[in-house]
Formats: sequence, structure tokens, C-alpha cells
Amino acid sequence: MSIIQAKDVKKWFGDFQALKGISMEIAEGEVLVICGPSGSGKSTFIRCINRLEQHQDGEIIVDGTELTNDLKNIETIRAEVGMVFQSFNLFPHLTVMQNITLAPIWVRKKSRSDSEEKAMELLNRVGIPEQADKYPGQLSGGQQQRVAIARALAMDPKIMLFDEPTSALDPEMIKEVLDAMKELAKSGMTMIVVTHEMGFAKEVADRVMLFDEGMMVEENTPDEFFDNPKNDRTKLFLSQIL
Amino acid sequence: MVAVIKKNAKALQESLFSSVGSSVLTIGTTYLVLNFFRGMFGFVMSSDKDWLAVLNNMQLYMVQAYPESDFIRVWVSVGLTFVFSGISIGLWRSEDRSNVSSIFDTFFKIGLGVLFFTIVAPTFTSYMGNDGSVITEEIFSRSTRLGILIPTLIATVAFFGLKNMKINFSYNNSDVVFLYLFIPVALLWFVKLPVIQLDQNKERIMPDPLMPIANTTKIPWSVIFVMFLIAYFIGIYFKDVKRLKNVMSISWFLLPLLIFSWIFKKPQIDMGEVLTGDIPIFFIFFIIGLVTVLFINNPIVKKYYSIYLGIILVGTIAGIFIGIPMLAKACLLLLSLFSMVVPAVSTSDQGKRSLIIIWFVALVTLTFLLRGGASETGIVVPGSSIFGGFSLTWLLAIFGTYVSFPLGVLLALGRNSKLPIVRIICTGIIELVRSVPYITWLFFASVTLAVFLPAGVEFNLIVRVLMVTAFFSGAYFAENIRGGLQSIPKGQYEAADAIGMSPFQKTGLIVLPQALRAVIPTLVSSAITAFKDSSLVTIIGLFDFLTIGKTVIDNQSVPVNFVGHQRENLIFVAVVYWIFTFTLSRRSMKVEKRLGLGER
Ligand SMILES: Nc1ncnc2c1ncn2[C@@H]1O[C@H](COP(=O)(O)OP(=O)(O)O)[C@@H](O)[C@H]1O
Ligand SMILES: [Mg+2]
Repeated sequence: MSIIQAKDVKKWFGDFQALKGISMEIAEGEVLVICGPSGSGKSTFIRCINRLEQHQDGEIIVDGTELTNDLKNIETIRAEVGMVFQSFNLFPHLTVMQNITLAPIWVRKKSRSDSEEKAMELLNRVGIPEQADKYPGQLSGGQQQRVAIARALAMDPKIMLFDEPTSALDPEMIKEVLDAMKELAKSGMTMIVVTHEMGFAKEVADRVMLFDEGMMVEENTPDEFFDNPKNDRTKLFLSQIL
Repeated sequence: MVAVIKKNAKALQESLFSSVGSSVLTIGTTYLVLNFFRGMFGFVMSSDKDWLAVLNNMQLYMVQAYPESDFIRVWVSVGLTFVFSGISIGLWRSEDRSNVSSIFDTFFKIGLGVLFFTIVAPTFTSYMGNDGSVITEEIFSRSTRLGILIPTLIATVAFFGLKNMKINFSYNNSDVVFLYLFIPVALLWFVKLPVIQLDQNKERIMPDPLMPIANTTKIPWSVIFVMFLIAYFIGIYFKDVKRLKNVMSISWFLLPLLIFSWIFKKPQIDMGEVLTGDIPIFFIFFIIGLVTVLFINNPIVKKYYSIYLGIILVGTIAGIFIGIPMLAKACLLLLSLFSMVVPAVSTSDQGKRSLIIIWFVALVTLTFLLRGGASETGIVVPGSSIFGGFSLTWLLAIFGTYVSFPLGVLLALGRNSKLPIVRIICTGIIELVRSVPYITWLFFASVTLAVFLPAGVEFNLIVRVLMVTAFFSGAYFAENIRGGLQSIPKGQYEAADAIGMSPFQKTGLIVLPQALRAVIPTLVSSAITAFKDSSLVTIIGLFDFLTIGKTVIDNQSVPVNFVGHQRENLIFVAVVYWIFTFTLSRRSMKVEKRLGLGER
């Protein structure tokens, strides 16, 4: 049973077509890596999944709910889909603890003490329990991104979306974030990860996709994708990044 | 010790004489400051100045013509303000600590300053006498100079020694706040001041006899000080109680309204109007609100929510123009705001309960304040309003910020709204208000506003001035806040969306806190401007603090002739304005620093 179904999803920005009919299915617990050149529509596609962007044609069904303009649906979906951004987007005026407990308290209406307990658990899981009372500005990039992961997890999402989570990080911090993500993948979370970290893709991905010019040009197992790509564009892309 | 002095001297040299340019600047500035000080000192000390024209008119300065028999009302207002301050300082008691050596350092610097100015103070001053001849007199004798120099020198050296002893004792910064009040109050008890006394022929006795300040101020201030201290400890005691800070913030907002409509005003309540008007209106609106909270999220009712909201909004706007009681109009406005929030919050039993409590408290407060505000005042002040002098300046300043600030937030949010009608209205208001000078708005308030207000609505001049002031500063606040809103990166909105926050939550918890933080400095300077601009009300015949000093006292000839002593009063007024604005900007710098923690 697939948890996300996309059928022929199309999206225009003005006259420019960013997505030219994307179809895919993702099963529960699956880890999908999307890669592709810059501007190929990767971000746009995963942002459509939690409706940060609206697709104009085709349909997206997340956990049985079709994404439409109905506000109720959008809120349900957003509570089930966590997202981690390239630029972290932590709330700079709140402490790490407040960043993580904000949504559970205000959106899920949980008690403060339960939320804080859960937040500490998550901070332990991403390896920075000692940073709870600091402000994001006092943390390194890698720590901030791990807080962002904890913040998304605090809503108990069924699906996690990652949009180039390590692209804004210094090389020495990339590993700590990838480790947190690997741990998450192994715990059985459904994940869609836009990344160019090929090591990560090889190790944890169940499938790898290549986007180019708004289309999905290749879909494959990691081994096949890297060692034996079907598509010429994949070969070109791999030769450029490896 | 020598090493320490050498180090300090070296630092001084480096900061003041590091290059030719900075040496020139240092010497030039010193020269200017020196001359200014010497001139000012001569001016203040010369014997043709009568500083009692200031000192003996404090009552006029504070409350103008407010009758003495009702002074208790003034004291209650002041006392409540201090009790609120005490509780707030306790509740928000910071954990910032300072070492005593920083105090010694301050005293040491003050000592240096006093030494410097005692040495350079002029011995003689000259002024023009009544007959046009130049009179020269000694104002600072050698013995006085030595009498100040020697003890100051000893104290300064002592403080220098103390500050370098590295005494390991620190105190909580909030805990010493009470000193700001304690020292002046203690001085009231011990310091004798010259007081104007008349002999049998109604001639002023010279020199003016020294007397302790009369009990009229000593006792009330002492009581206020004690209450302030108790309030501080109460605040600390309840520091961790949830929501108390929110309650306190709202109370701060209501305090000036309470003072304005009940305490200062002494309203004459017509019980008939209360029974036949206020109470029924209160119950009708309470029940409407109650029903809304209980049933709005019922799936059948929910379909008609937009119709219901539309009816209330139309009713609110229509209500302004038809002859219903003031309270009903205000309740309608409150209900329309309330109804917009209800659906999002009344999703759980707990949410419903708190909504009902909030609705009840808000209605009670509104009814109470409006009853006081709408009733006739029992205070008789011949020829002018019951607010005058500092009480008027303070009132305008408070309203210039308190009321206009939320108004500014709403206007700014409205101007950024997605709904075109809201955006157009808010933009229109902001641009209209800002494009006309404040003085014009004051004339508008005093002359024209009555024509625009619907029939049957009548406010006294002060209320009308408050209304235009609120809109005027509000428009400026709005533009500042809008700047802050624009400085928030798109990623913040997206992150809030991605964790499922509603638009209200996004605005209240993510966007506004950051936007306001970003514009604190500009907001403070707007508040300071509002405070100073309040002196413009003199132009429509109100007696603010400045007007008392400039015009009222200068025209006073009975019982003592103060004509011609305008300059002393103007200096005093300037100093008071300076103290308030300076304190305000210093406090805001501290707040900024504390909030600065959250910046990237
Ligand atoms: N808000 C927007 N308005 C206009 N064009 C956009 C917008 N967002 C993205 N695009 C365009 O859509 C294309 C796909 O962008 P994106 O999904 O961000 O690519 P990727 O994440 O693969 O680098 C790009 O050409 C980009 O310029
Ligand atoms: Mg991208």
C-alpha cells in the first residue's frame, strides 16, 4: 500500500513549466532519494507534497487524503508530513526547546510537560541534548539542522521530506546530519530526500530518481542507478558530480 | 597601585590622543563642554534667578488646577503605577548579576566628574541688572570650592581603591531597583528646602526660610515606596505562576484606562442608567458570545459561520452610525473581533472554557471602563480640563504609545493582508494620517471632529485629542512595524506552514515577535517622539507640562510675583523631559541586548 501517490503532477510558474507530469508511488517505510541538476524541479515537487506549492494539474494523494484547496485537508497533511529545509529555517527568537515544542503545544494541543519530555528524547536521538536552552544563533550549522530534524519529528510525522539538508553545511558537519538521517531511515520512517550525497543514497536509499527539466528521467535501485544507469542524462549528471 | 594608574593613563591616552585628529577633537570638545558648563553654572547660580519659581510650583507642574480635596485620587493613581511596576519587576526579575566593583567604578567616575567641574567652575558671574548696568557677583567662593573638593577627592580615591580591590560580591540587578525610589523618598524626610513664606504685609520673607517638605508629599511617597517594595516581593513569589505575566501585560494596558475613566475622573454614576442600560446590554452580549463559543464548531452551524460573521461586521459598522448606546457599539466591535478568533480556539473543552472566561472578563472590563468614561466628572476645575501639567503630558504619552501601538500592529498587518479591501482601508488610513501634520490633527480634534462624529456621540476635548494622537502615532508605528514584517525571510513562513500552524498562530508566534524585535529601536524613538510631541497640545488650549512652565507660572503674580522667571522654568522642563526620554532609551537598549540573544 503506497503512502504517497503522485499522478501526472504539473506545475507552472507563470509561463514557465517547472513540473511536466511527474508520476510516482512511495510505499510506507521506503526511502527515496531524488537528485538532478539545479533548477530541475526537485524542490518544487517535494514542496507540492505538503502544499507549500500548489500543483495545477494531476493529483497527489498523501496517506489517503487528496491534496486540494480544502484548508482542513492541508492542515491534516502538514501535521503528518515533516519537512527539513536547506537553510534550516529555525525560529531565531525561540530557544531550541521552544522551537521543538511549539508545534506539539499549539497545533497538536499537547501539554507543555509532555511536549518537553518528548523534545528531550528527540534531542537525545539527534545527539544534542545539551543544547536545549540555547538559541539557534548560538549553534553550528550541523547542530541547527539536527534541531530542525527534531522539530519536524516532534509532530510524529508519517513522512519526512528533506530538501538538500546538507547543501548549506561545511563539509565537516555534513556527516553528523547524515548520521541522524540514516538512523531515522533505519527506524522505518518514510523519507523523500533531495540530495547529492551519493554515499547516503547508496547506503540507505531504496530507490533513486533523477529529475531533469521538470521530468523524472530515471528511476532505479541505488546500485543500478550508480553503476549501470539506463539514461544518458543520468550518466552525464553522474559524471558531473562524482 | 602605580601599575593600575599607569594602565588607566595609557588607556586614556590611547582613546583620546591616539592621533592628531583625535587630539584636536578631544581638545575642541573639551573646550566646548567647558564653556557650556561655565556659562550654565553662572546662569543657574546668579542671584537674579529665582529657583523657587520652579520649586514652589511643583503642584502646578504635576496636576495644574486639580482640587486639593481630591488629591487622594492622584496618589492612588501614582501608587497603583508603582505597585504595578513592583510586581512586574519581580515577575520579570532577570538573573543578570553585577559585581560591586562596577558600582565603585561608577562612583569613581562620578567623583572624577565632580572634581573636574568643581575645579573649572567660575568664581564670578555677571548679568544685566534692571537698570541696564552689568552686575558682577561672586557665586562660588574659595571656601565652598575647597569644601567640595577635599571630601570629593578623598571619596574618589577611596572608590578607586575599592574598585581595584576586586571584591568578590555580586548582586542581582533587579534587586537594586528599589534604590531609585528609596533615595528620593528618604531625602524628602531629611532635606530641608527653601519655602516661600509671607509676612503680615504679604511681603515675601527674605531669605526664604528652610523647611522640611510638608507631610503632603512625604507621607504618601513613603507609603508608595513600601507598597512598591511589597509588590516587588509578591512579584518574585509568583514568578513561576503560569500566565501571570500575560495577565500583568494586559493589566498594564488597562491601568491608564482605569486611571483615566475612574480614579482621576471621579465619575458621577447614574444608577438608573446602569440598571436599565449597562446591565441588560452586558447580558445580551455575554449570551451571544457564549452561544458562539459553544456551537460555532458544530458541523451544521459551521456552514453558516461566514453569514454570522458578516451580520456582526455589518452590525458593527451600522452601529457606529445609528443611535444605540455607546456600550452597545463597543460591545459589537468587541464581538466582531472575538468571533473571528473563536472557531480556531473553541476546538477543545479547555479552549471553550478559557474563551468564555476571556469573554466575560473583557465584557466586564469594557462595561466598567465605559461607564466611568461616559459619566460626568465630579471634579470641579474652573476653566480647564481635569488633566493638566505632567498628568496631561503623561496621559498623552501613554496613549500615544499604548493605544497606538496595537493599532499600529493591526494597521501594519492589515496593509500586508491578502484581502484587498482590508489592505486598501489600512493603506488609506496610514497615508491619510501621515500626510497631514500633527498640529492640523489637533485642530481637527478640537474644532472639526465633532462634525464628523455621528449625532449623539460627544467626547470631551481630551478624548478627541487622544483619538487623533492614537491614530497619528499608530500610523507611524504601523510603517515601522511593516518594515519589520518585510525583514522576515520567506523561510520562516514556510517553516511555520510546514509544521501545520494556522495563519493566526503563524502571525502571533513567529512573524510578529520577530518583526517587533527587529524594530525596537525605531519603536522607541517613535514613543519618545510621541512623548515630546504631546507638548503641541498647548496650541488648542490644553495646559501640558511645558505650558505650565512657559506660560502659567510666568503669568503668576499672586501670592508671589514670578513674572520674568520663565528661563528657570524652561530649564527645569527641559531637564525633566530629558530624564524621561533618556531613561526610556537606556531601558530599551537593555531590552534590545536581552532579546539580542535570539538573533542569528
Ligand atoms: N516561486 C517561483 N517563481 C518562479 N519560478 C520558480 C519559483 N520557484 C521555482 N521556480 C523555478 O522553477 C524551476 C525549478 O525550481 P526548483 O524546484 O527550486 O529546482 P531545484 O530544487 O531542482 O533546483 C527553476 O527554474 C526555478 O527558477
Ligand atoms: Mg532546490
